[in-house]
Amino acid sequence: MTTLSEKILTEAESEIESEAESQAEIEESTEPGPGHPAEQPSPVLAVRDVRISDRAGDREIVHGVSFTLTPGSAVGIVGESGSGKTLTCRAALGILPAHFEITGGSVEIDGNDIAGLSPTRWTDLRGATISAVFQDPASYLNPSIRVGAQIAEVLRVKKGLKRRAAHRRAIELLRVVHLRDPELVHAQYPHELSGGMLQRVLIAVAIAAGPRILIADEATTALDVTVQAEILDLLADLRERTGLALVVVSHDLAVVAQLCDEVLVMRRGEVVEQGPTRDVLHHPRHEYTRLLIAEHEQYGLEKFLAPAPEEDA
Amino acid sequence: MVRRVLSLATGRIALAVLTVIAVLALFGPLLAPQNPLATGDHPLAAASGAHWLGTDYLGRDVLSRLLDGSRVSVLGSLEVAFTALAIGAVPGILSVHLGRVFEWVTLRLADTLVALPFLLFAVAVIALLGNGLSQAMLVTGALVSPLFYRVARAATLAVARSPYVEAAIVSGASIGWVVRRHVWAKVLPPIAVALAQTVGVGFVIVSSLTFLGIGVQPPAPTWGGLLASDLGYLSHQPWAPLAPALLIMVTVWACNLLADAIRDVSGEAGRALVNTRKARANRRREADPAPAPAGGVR
Amino acid sequence: MSTGPAPKATTPGEPAKPVLEVKDLQVHYGTPRRRRPALRGVSLSVAPGETVGIIGETGSGKSTFARAALGLVRASAGSVVVDGEDVSAYGARQWRALRRRGVIQYVFQDPLRSLDPDLTIEASLAEPLLVRGDSREEAARRVRAFLARVHLSEDLLDRLPGELSGGQRQRVAVARALVTEPRLVILDEPVSALDSANRVQILRILEELRDDGVALVFISHDLGSVAGIADRIAVLYQGELVEVGAAGDVIGRPRHPYTRLLVRSAPTLHSAPADRAERAALRALLNA
Repeated sequence: MTTLSEKILTEAESEIESEAESQAEIEESTEPGPGHPAEQPSPVLAVRDVRISDRAGDREIVHGVSFTLTPGSAVGIVGESGSGKTLTCRAALGILPAHFEITGGSVEIDGNDIAGLSPTRWTDLRGATISAVFQDPASYLNPSIRVGAQIAEVLRVKKGLKRRAAHRRAIELLRVVHLRDPELVHAQYPHELSGGMLQRVLIAVAIAAGPRILIADEATTALDVTVQAEILDLLADLRERTGLALVVVSHDLAVVAQLCDEVLVMRRGEVVEQGPTRDVLHHPRHEYTRLLIAEHEQYGLEKFLAPAPEEDA
Repeated sequence: MVRRVLSLATGRIALAVLTVIAVLALFGPLLAPQNPLATGDHPLAAASGAHWLGTDYLGRDVLSRLLDGSRVSVLGSLEVAFTALAIGAVPGILSVHLGRVFEWVTLRLADTLVALPFLLFAVAVIALLGNGLSQAMLVTGALVSPLFYRVARAATLAVARSPYVEAAIVSGASIGWVVRRHVWAKVLPPIAVALAQTVGVGFVIVSSLTFLGIGVQPPAPTWGGLLASDLGYLSHQPWAPLAPALLIMVTVWACNLLADAIRDVSGEAGRALVNTRKARANRRREADPAPAPAGGVR
Repeated sequence: MSTGPAPKATTPGEPAKPVLEVKDLQVHYGTPRRRRPALRGVSLSVAPGETVGIIGETGSGKSTFARAALGLVRASAGSVVVDGEDVSAYGARQWRALRRRGVIQYVFQDPLRSLDPDLTIEASLAEPLLVRGDSREEAARRVRAFLARVHLSEDLLDRLPGELSGGQRQRVAVARALVTEPRLVILDEPVSALDSANRVQILRILEELRDDGVALVFISHDLGSVAGIADRIAVLYQGELVEVGAAGDVIGRPRHPYTRLLVRSAPTLHSAPADRAERAALRALLNA
């Protein structure tokens, strides 16, 4: 029996194919990325110089990504489609598409190197330690099963809760993600909920088994601005209250800047810039980061909103 | 489309079998080694040099009768399929575009036709109009036509609400343009599948009717009729019904195979098949400085 | 545009007539028994060469506005004037005649589905020209000219949409809207499905268009893109136009609480967006 989060993760695999393919067409750039892993005490997720290759095309797609995540911290990955940001996350979740594999570096989840993990160990780890939410929430829920039952399923499989306890906990979780009427939502079907509510439900599912790491891959991209603000608030809230460590993947620098302490800017499988968010935003070193910021200033709200006075830490 | 079907092994086999059947239907009577109606001195003879498939209870050459009967069987089934196509497909496409009244009327008509059992109805029509296969097949075709109506309507519905059809409408395109330009290509594959299936069904119907002795006057040979008369002498010649039965079976099977092949190469999967080939060709062209002629694959 | 705008509405000296003028537009959806209003009396005019952004969230009626202006949905009240013609009472035939002139064009949100997957790029691009009766040679010539305007190479012409990237497809969709040299292009979420590099590329192309004197109506839920390109911004909330003004004013000094909520909800590089309390206060103001 597969749990919902298992289903979520396996369904996600197919979606990545297109990105991987478009990536395969991009020729490899030769400039080296400034990867410098910062040593921190007891990281929950340590990605060290991870390289990912496409076995079918026999080429390296991701050329070395490193970051560490301590409890309650947040790392953002910014880049356009085909930059390898999503592949990197899939690697950390152990759900790389069929012909992709990690060909260098290591990923440690809560001290365990994922290289030697058996499928059973992976199943234990996903959901319970590392979890994820993706862009299109509707496609990760079964349309013919009530929302509450789908959350309860995860709880019963992952936490071994009895039916009644799972029911109670599911409602609690819906309250945790700030859904206004948890009892009502619990009994509703996915098509009765708006996109923002569905994404909250998905977050509830993702945190159901009490993971220590949550990967949010373009989780707010398809949402309205005000709804996005609420979801971003929720993620910040979870992080603060429960010590959840976040990996926030987005093509929007502003979204990442709002949530994360550290930012990785990726392009063509290369980390072109990495550092504390404030430094990257105010003193970008790489021309691509400067370009991203300039685009924001030219074609974004920043055009009309004066920058706040820079507070140096 | 034909080229795509031919790129599949199943498609090639199906088309090869159907070509042979078509040749039989066209030239069967000419190919028949003996007069199919001429009675002989050796009734119920086994296969021999003179009679490759033996003789029937009146000593007539079975091979000649089979070859001679193929035309009626093939033409009959084609008549069923194309009548159904003509009556069903066009209203199916137009039901999406021509407003609610037309839609409602054609939908109810289709429902009514589905409710009528076609074999019984065909028998009834023959009883009414006299024993002629052609009339029976026309009526059967009309009764099978809701299949085409539904297939065409479903495919059109899927296309009609798509942004590219709206884009065409915003550019001032008429219904005729939209159907020709956008709807046709999407509706054709499922219709081709339905057609191949219906030809198979048509064979069974013709064979059933002629087996029952309906539609064709007794001395004239048909596959179904042969099967019927052979079955009567099963105790003398247990292998005799094999030849007509196999012919019917292989033909229907080939039709279904063709339907499958068409379905496989059309739609998203078929497009992917062609696209990967094209991409491979492009890559080869890039690697190879000599310009290759561009294939007009659509 | 290679040729100037149509002679209509550009009598020198006079202020140019609006290319789109919508007055008190109401649109209802649903059955006659249970009618839901999608637009409740929206008035907006677009001057030649002007770029008007329409922002609003899901269900605000912004797509309905575009579809009503194009005659794809029927208005229940109000008037729509396109290029000097009152189209409010137009039937199918009159709409077809107007559309064939190619004065007004539409770019759809979803670049994946707005091109026929079975037609080559060239066939898709030539469609509006062939529909209005251009010869094949003329259409082919124009298609090539406009492909260059969206910075696509001619190699793509014999490809199918499935072989193009999302950004390329959206540029093809923009090119298709341009081949008839429209005076007004309505774009419904043209960049929402694109990543930042492709988004900026489309926005640059639209800026070039604006410089050529094409009026644009840019509909999006993404405030940043609208702010980047629009001269004026209109804010739709639950089928009503709550604020219209110069882009800098609407974004920089929003007056209506809903506009404030939108602007303050969007994350920006330099300033933190409103916290939950501030947003709740704005919502309370909005519901009052």
